[in-house]
Amino acid sequence: MKQRSIQLLISSGMLLLLLSWAHLFVLQQEQGANSNLIFWEFQVPRLLSALLAGAGLSLSGLLMQNLFQNPMAGPYVLGINSGASLFISILILGVAPTFLNEFSYVSAAMTGAFLAASFMFVVSKRVQNIQSLLVIGLMFASFTGAIESVLQSFAAPEQVKQLFIWNMGSLQQMSAAQAPWMATIVLFGIASTLFLVKGLNAMVLGEAHALQLGVKVKLLKISILFVTALLAGSITAYCGPIAFVGLAIPNLSRALLKTQDHLLLILFSVLAGSCFLVAIDVLILLLDPWLSLPVNVLTAVIGAPYVAYLMLRQR
Amino acid sequence: MISIQHAQVGYQTTLIDIAQLALPAGQIYALIGRNGSGKSTLLQTLIGQLPLRAGSISLGAFSLGELQKNAALRSTQVSYVASMFAGVEALTLHAYVSLGRVPHLGAFGRMQATDLQFVDEVLRVLNLSDLAHKETRKLSDGERQLASLARAIVQDTPFMVLDEPASFLDYFNRELLLDQLQQWVQQKPERTAVFSSHDIDLCLQKGIPMLVLHQHKLTLLTKPTKQEVMALL
Repeated sequence: MKQRSIQLLISSGMLLLLLSWAHLFVLQQEQGANSNLIFWEFQVPRLLSALLAGAGLSLSGLLMQNLFQNPMAGPYVLGINSGASLFISILILGVAPTFLNEFSYVSAAMTGAFLAASFMFVVSKRVQNIQSLLVIGLMFASFTGAIESVLQSFAAPEQVKQLFIWNMGSLQQMSAAQAPWMATIVLFGIASTLFLVKGLNAMVLGEAHALQLGVKVKLLKISILFVTALLAGSITAYCGPIAFVGLAIPNLSRALLKTQDHLLLILFSVLAGSCFLVAIDVLILLLDPWLSLPVNVLTAVIGAPYVAYLMLRQR
Repeated sequence: MISIQHAQVGYQTTLIDIAQLALPAGQIYALIGRNGSGKSTLLQTLIGQLPLRAGSISLGAFSLGELQKNAALRSTQVSYVASMFAGVEALTLHAYVSLGRVPHLGAFGRMQATDLQFVDEVLRVLNLSDLAHKETRKLSDGERQLASLARAIVQDTPFMVLDEPASFLDYFNRELLLDQLQQWVQQKPERTAVFSSHDIDLCLQKGIPMLVLHQHKLTLLTKPTKQEVMALL
């Protein structure tokens, strides 16, 4: 059992290296030029963007599924991205441009994500089944969407365009200067999750049971909400809302590893999430001469049927 | 040793009122009572999940109040077997039982060789070794119930509280469960176990002391006879 997990970890790591190389290669072919400047200013940030967003989103999905004790939870379906999105809209449209910097951008997204996650968690205690929770998540998303539309009607066309592009989700927005920031935040999120492994493992049995096993459940829940907001919020800030990665990859991880050991699940989700988004971006690059697809279209084409399959299987 | 002083047990109203009672260590106690008499409520109180309305209860050196405040301490003192464990996707029986070791593991939750040995030994004694790698959701109700007992045993606490731990077990496994519990309390001097049961005949046959819940009172019968028990119920 353990051996199989380690084999899977090593093969996904090698697949990730291969995909990353393919990503750099395809992008270089497309650029046609072979200069150091393009490599560091354009190719590397885009690859890092896919790597980090994939890793962070699937990890935050894994954490949310543990917290909500439901495999259908995820940062996108529960409206965490919407919370981040709303706060970013408020920032872009409502605040003087002088305050628009790295720090305000990311902290607005994280605050929105944290509030949305906390709100959904409180709601989840009051509804009995996941279907209702998903519908509430959907309502929450359309509600924040409506507020954004209202805000946009007051905005200048340039700001609206900026928001529209951001909302499509993209792996090309991150600049070389932003890359180290995002890398630090995501790596910090992954590293801090490793300290939660023992509690996460026990939480699989439910809150009361975890408490009985000596887990500081309250602290664990707040840590999960905080790390989820950190990851989903910062990624949403840099790449826009990217759907389905957070929901699909942790489920795939559990199905493949057949374990609830969260050390293995964390490592595999991180690798598999990165593989998934890098592969999708390679596909986008390959298709680029004929049609340019936003990243969300492809994650949805692959992710949505898988999630539907999971729901059908749950019954 | 469990000692109870003027304890009032219940949620909004007092369901059970116990003036004074001491349960010496080295024994298992069967908690007997009619449906709705408050067996589960009393057990929830004993594990520190439900605060006392008044009075005090102590498990060995610690009062329930102390244990309630400190989940880490509590997890080394008292283990709990719930009446039903539904199973979890992708969680194998071995992994489930191993979670009983959580209170004894380091920060990263890694099992050491001695932990794994302990788990394997308990699985063997309860005839669960062949099911070790089966997913808990695919086990039968009875198999999951035995697994819960295994999980509590590997938690290695002085006190064990069990809520109808034999309700899904067949005749042979009921005997196995009681024999294992009796062995368990005798392995270390401070050990005490309380379990609720409707299987009065088997408990009488095994000579297990009984705690009978009736009319909001708790009576200890150290050498119960059927007439005594029936008269109280």
